[in-house]
Amino acid sequence: MTDPTRIDLTINGISHTLHVEPRVTLLDALRENLGLTGTKKGCDHGQCGACTIHVDGERMLACLMLAVQADGRAITTIEGLAAADGTPHPVQQAFLEEDAFQCGYCTPGQIMSAVSCIAEGHAGSDDEIREYMSGNLCRCGAYPHIVAAVRKAAEAETDRAQEAA
Amino acid sequence: MTIIEPTTKRGDASDGAMVRGTLGSIHVRADGPAKIRGEATYALEHRIDGLLHCVLVQSTIGAGRVVSIDRSATEASPGVRLVLDAFNAAQVKWIPDYWGNAPAKDYDTPFPTEITFNGQAIAAVVADTPEQAREAAARLAVVYEEAPVRATFDAEDTQTRPVDMMAKDWGDPDAALAEAPVVVDAAYETPREYHMALEPHGLIAHWEDDDRLTLYESTQWIDGTANWFAQQFEIPFENIRVVSPYVGGGFGSKGFVLPHSIVAVMAARQLRRPVKLALQRSQHFTAFGARPATRQSLKIGATEDGRIVAIDHQGTNETAVDKAFVEQLGSVTALLYAVPNFRSRQSIAPVHTVLPGAFRAPGKTPSAVGIECAIDELAGKLGIDPLELRRRNEADHDFDSGLPWSSRRLMACYDTGAAAFGWSGRPLEPRSMRDGHQLIGWGMAVGTHPVISSPGEARVRILSDGTVEVLSSAIDMGTGTYTILAQTAADVLGVPVEMVDVKLGDSTLGHAPVAGGSQLANLMVGAVYKTAVAAREELIALGLTDPNSPLRDQANTLTLSEGRIGTPRGATMSIAQLMAATGRSEIDVTRDTLPDGERPPEERLKYFTSMAGMEGGVRGEVSRHSFCAHFVEVRVDEDFGTVRVSRVVTAVDAGRLYNPKLADSQFKGGIIMGIGMALLEEGVTDPRNGRMLNANFADYLVATNADVPEIDIHSVGEPDYDATPLGGKAVGELAIVGMAPAIANAVYHATGKRVRRLPITMENLL
Repeated sequence: MTDPTRIDLTINGISHTLHVEPRVTLLDALRENLGLTGTKKGCDHGQCGACTIHVDGERMLACLMLAVQADGRAITTIEGLAAADGTPHPVQQAFLEEDAFQCGYCTPGQIMSAVSCIAEGHAGSDDEIREYMSGNLCRCGAYPHIVAAVRKAAEAETDRAQEAA
Repeated sequence: MTIIEPTTKRGDASDGAMVRGTLGSIHVRADGPAKIRGEATYALEHRIDGLLHCVLVQSTIGAGRVVSIDRSATEASPGVRLVLDAFNAAQVKWIPDYWGNAPAKDYDTPFPTEITFNGQAIAAVVADTPEQAREAAARLAVVYEEAPVRATFDAEDTQTRPVDMMAKDWGDPDAALAEAPVVVDAAYETPREYHMALEPHGLIAHWEDDDRLTLYESTQWIDGTANWFAQQFEIPFENIRVVSPYVGGGFGSKGFVLPHSIVAVMAARQLRRPVKLALQRSQHFTAFGARPATRQSLKIGATEDGRIVAIDHQGTNETAVDKAFVEQLGSVTALLYAVPNFRSRQSIAPVHTVLPGAFRAPGKTPSAVGIECAIDELAGKLGIDPLELRRRNEADHDFDSGLPWSSRRLMACYDTGAAAFGWSGRPLEPRSMRDGHQLIGWGMAVGTHPVISSPGEARVRILSDGTVEVLSSAIDMGTGTYTILAQTAADVLGVPVEMVDVKLGDSTLGHAPVAGGSQLANLMVGAVYKTAVAAREELIALGLTDPNSPLRDQANTLTLSEGRIGTPRGATMSIAQLMAATGRSEIDVTRDTLPDGERPPEERLKYFTSMAGMEGGVRGEVSRHSFCAHFVEVRVDEDFGTVRVSRVVTAVDAGRLYNPKLADSQFKGGIIMGIGMALLEEGVTDPRNGRMLNANFADYLVATNADVPEIDIHSVGEPDYDATPLGGKAVGELAIVGMAPAIANAVYHATGKRVRRLPITMENLL
């Protein structure tokens, strides 16, 4: 059980080879082994959403996934969300403008969930945003501003899509 | 948030630049860019070579004794470096805690063998990886001798102890109540509530030498933490560096040094390796204390036209069996209304629990539940609108201290909040409004928080490139310290905010008192203002008098604006140009806001490492408080008893807001925590063994996004220079106070059912 296993992960477009024990969670592999601490540990039990990342484009809780389960898969973390030139992702920018956080600890998970919430087509109304963002706890109570940020980013996304069409 | 401009100015202690400048205006959070990119480094995320991982082991009995611990299987477990328990750990020095409780012994290990609560730290395991440490910790074989447990103050054998210093008396409440035509007599309860900051408690302890310690720790108080470890491990204060640039939520839980931190520091010293200890989420309910369960009884007597004649109040909170913590349940009771006859008594009930601690607006939050629900009951009994009843009893001064308010715009809160909410259309009778199967209710309540103040210190550097650094060991836990200090310095020095770099959260950067009691913003803007003014004077003197200054002898004084210095009507140059011309590499100024007078360095330090300099709401000849009025709509499903908060309007009087957007965030955060308190949060304890039954986020419910409606905040405050130097009052803890009773009152209005024990859940309403 504790013999290290070799795994290959593509994280934010960069390939990493790791030797991890099978019991190591993807979250701990990111934070402790790779030093990618933007993904946060809040509860380690899949109850708070702070560790939300994207695996093959889907939002996942990194604390509920073993690192070996992610072998060969493409992972995006908060560190990989901005454009190559450093321009923040529109959702990141909206969080900044709407003051959608205070202490900032749940923020990476909120932003990763928000990107998915919009991509999944669940940002159609404030009530829908609230529902689909409720897997991410924020003890500072930034929820109203998170809703505003998601709404803003979703509307901008719609505008861009219409311009492109 | 809507800002209601005050109709009167109360005088101005600052110079013109401050009034016109960026302080007081919206500016994006200075620490925001790092936080949205995942680049903000929290305590457990610092990269230290050779790091080992420590796991805390807690007792599984609620009372009794640890007889023995068999460490052998743990020590033989792969990767294990050290196992510490009461039988092999070193003894360290113990000092009285922050609440004044003396230690049982002068020297002891951090692992008591006498167990006084379930979840007490009894051992620690250090290993190469977190997985190895967790596995090994599970192999520890502990033999206990169990004793009977008094799990909560609901136990039959509970005894209470009066806390005499909390007693308040004036007038003759017994006589007034005997004669009062209308009396409300009711009791209210609040359960154990927990901070649950999203960032886990934890630290990295790194002994860089035998007597040099660096701590990367999530703390609300750098200097207090360093001072505690200096005393406990008997090394000089200067030899301890505490690093905490970002704090992932505190709410009172990270103010003081906690047992698990002592364990990690001890393990690191013994192993001569850096040690990381992170509490597991379940341990956050017992490794340190939160808000204790409380009970209050209130008698309010009034005339038939709704004039309060007397209040008689009694409050009790749980505490640990061996230490006292007082949740000050009379703290709001005495402040809200004109009460000619008053009595308040407080007692504590020792039970087998971790010593409770300070949790957002300690005392004030449960205190408001009592008085603000009781006033609503009185309004019902009198047949008077609850807002009108409050107006009739507005306190024109602080009846507790007898002093005038520094400012109290509660009546403006009533006017503005009621108008925005549409309160005037509210039917008096409960159960009068419905929408299909939903019963609709409107309730309100008042909150207040004292303006607490301590001296501060700041360092301001003007660098050769014209940029400015502000340095302090103060912290920012999402409260906006980085941002408002940049705004303060920018205004004084006439530079854009973007040219000010604020460095916080490191003991090498200076000294600061605790970020608690909603005091830090006011005291730090005051300290930075004073320091920046001194730096500005030095810069102007440089321009006027330096032999190489192009501005020399050009005018009597120089002005600073948009990063340039010059004569009022003449040539200007950039600060960088002046620094270059005069060959100065920097201007570096440190100032403090301590009381005037000479004092030795160790005396000076006490202002930052203890509560020595802290002043409460009453200071000098005034009583300083923030106020707010919450207006709430709830919808209660008639069939299922589910309660949803559907609308919140809150009007606040928190004086001058240094950055309205960030203050708005904090007000909303307090309100949302209040929604949790009213409807969701409750620590449940097994009466047999004192074990917490819901020590996780799935069972201890905090408000989620879907629990929270739109929240409309209106600020009616005006600068209060009698409260603080730059006119602000208490912000961070204000808005949780009064929110839970506002919801309880709305639930009554919706259903006609008065629930006097929080949280209000569906079984109360069916």
